[in-house]
Amino acid sequence: MDFAWTEEQAAFRKEVIRFARTELNDDLERRDREEEFPFDFWKKCAQFGIQGLPVPTEYGGGGADTLTTVCALEALGYGCKDNGFLFSLNAHMWTTVIPLMGFGTEEQKRKYLPKLISGEWIGLHCMTEPMSGSDAYSLRTRAERKGDRYVINGTKTFITNTIHGDLFIVFANVDPSKGANGVTGFLIEKGHPGLIVGKKLHKMGLRTSPMSEVALVDCEVPAENILGKEGSGQAIFTHSMEWERTCILASHLGMMQRLIETCVKYARERQQFGQPIGKYSAIANKIADMEVRLETGRLLLYKAAWLKSQGRHALREASMAKLYVSEATVQTCLDAIQIHGGYGYTTEYEMERDLRDAISGKIYSGTSEIQKVIIAGFQGL
Amino acid sequence: MTESTQPAVKDQIREFIQENLASVKGISSFRDDESLMDNGVIDSLGIFRLVSFLEENFGVRVSDEEINPENLKSVDSIEQLLIAKSKK
Ligand SMILES: Cc1cc2nc3c(=O)[nH]c(=O)nc-3n(C[C@H](O)[C@H](O)[C@H](O)COP(=O)(O)OP(=O)(O)OC[C@H]3O[C@@H](n4cnc5c(N)ncnc54)[C@H](O)[C@@H]3O)c2cc1C
Repeated sequence: MDFAWTEEQAAFRKEVIRFARTELNDDLERRDREEEFPFDFWKKCAQFGIQGLPVPTEYGGGGADTLTTVCALEALGYGCKDNGFLFSLNAHMWTTVIPLMGFGTEEQKRKYLPKLISGEWIGLHCMTEPMSGSDAYSLRTRAERKGDRYVINGTKTFITNTIHGDLFIVFANVDPSKGANGVTGFLIEKGHPGLIVGKKLHKMGLRTSPMSEVALVDCEVPAENILGKEGSGQAIFTHSMEWERTCILASHLGMMQRLIETCVKYARERQQFGQPIGKYSAIANKIADMEVRLETGRLLLYKAAWLKSQGRHALREASMAKLYVSEATVQTCLDAIQIHGGYGYTTEYEMERDLRDAISGKIYSGTSEIQKVIIAGFQGL
Repeated sequence: MTESTQPAVKDQIREFIQENLASVKGISSFRDDESLMDNGVIDSLGIFRLVSFLEENFGVRVSDEEINPENLKSVDSIEQLLIAKSKK
């Protein structure tokens, strides 16, 4: 067991923090208010090599192992305060790039991966529907086979990256009599007839990350657009979720560290009743709790990432990491606001935005309740 | 693993599925060639519990592409997957 980053990983981490601090924070308060996605950040991250980090070098990626990728994402969360942008980046990586790598044909990989890595294209996946969220495989979107083509009809909701998205992975059932085993993933490019990006959804947090509905109206695609095989949607989705639950909250670890440092500084400086508020155990204890949560979150998330680095499955560990880090981040945001008193509640101090952003972590990629269902399920319950 | 150990392997697979996946769904028996996906014994989470069991007990690595209904639908097909992997 080795709990330290290698020298290269530590140097890389520093470099990512420097990059994120200087390049990925501009104009955030306004963009959050106006729900504006930062395209320039997307391009800068691609130039830096973020989108392609876990992709093998033969497709133009960085060929990094999962732990190194997580190390970089944590550093991004520490240096970049735009959690919405980081969420879009993660959605792109774990629900488009990774399934394409795992299930795409050589032709599909050569066609799409370079564009998704270079920052030219943005990817997304469409699973959730108005009537199916946690029970994802009960989706109603149908793909009817007609010769060597499929005609897809259905509605998707809560879909991230839609408005600027270029490559959609759409899940539809090709044979409802097979239940979940009929669920199939289709690759569909922006502008394809019948693929309609619907109304924009406004939300509490992650406001710089676009979200909307997607409608499929007699959307006809050739059979070669299938990702994997007919009926392998379940495997693709689980594969994506395992990766996403492992990695998506690495940036929250960075966010928690940033909040702790801000709180420690404030607790030392802010004087009430003639002494720094950090001298009061009620405040110091909160900071101790924040520290314990961060370290526990790191252990869980690094363990899941380590398993993935070893080429092993980590569904259970990924669920634990996702559950714990999402809940821990919300509590840490609440504590940070409380430590800052009235200042913490103002937009200027930026913690209210972190809180709004963090709450969504308990919902996307499987709610906290569903993570518990999975963890207990491994115990046969 | 050789083909002569087949009965033992099959027994272990059947026992795992019976104890961990079927009984909680109130299913007390199933045939070795029966599709456990069609009868609801193996659901999306069950697949991963099964894969963890195969990896831990038989020292194999089941890749993401191998996790599909064809390979994992019945006791027979799971055994075939293990045999195929042992020959590689
Ligand atoms: C910011 C954000 C981005 C998203 N991006 C995408 C995206 O890009 N693509 C996509 O396909 N989807 C996306 N989603 C959708 C997301 O995956 C779903 O919101 C989530 O899976 C929950 O589904 P639901 O909202 O329908 O809630 P429901 O499933 O209806 O759940 C409602 C409540 O019931 C609880 N519940 C449900 N079933 C159980 C159970 N068995 N046991 C205990 N409690 C249960 C839930 O935990 C929750 O508290 C996104 C969501 C958010 C918030």
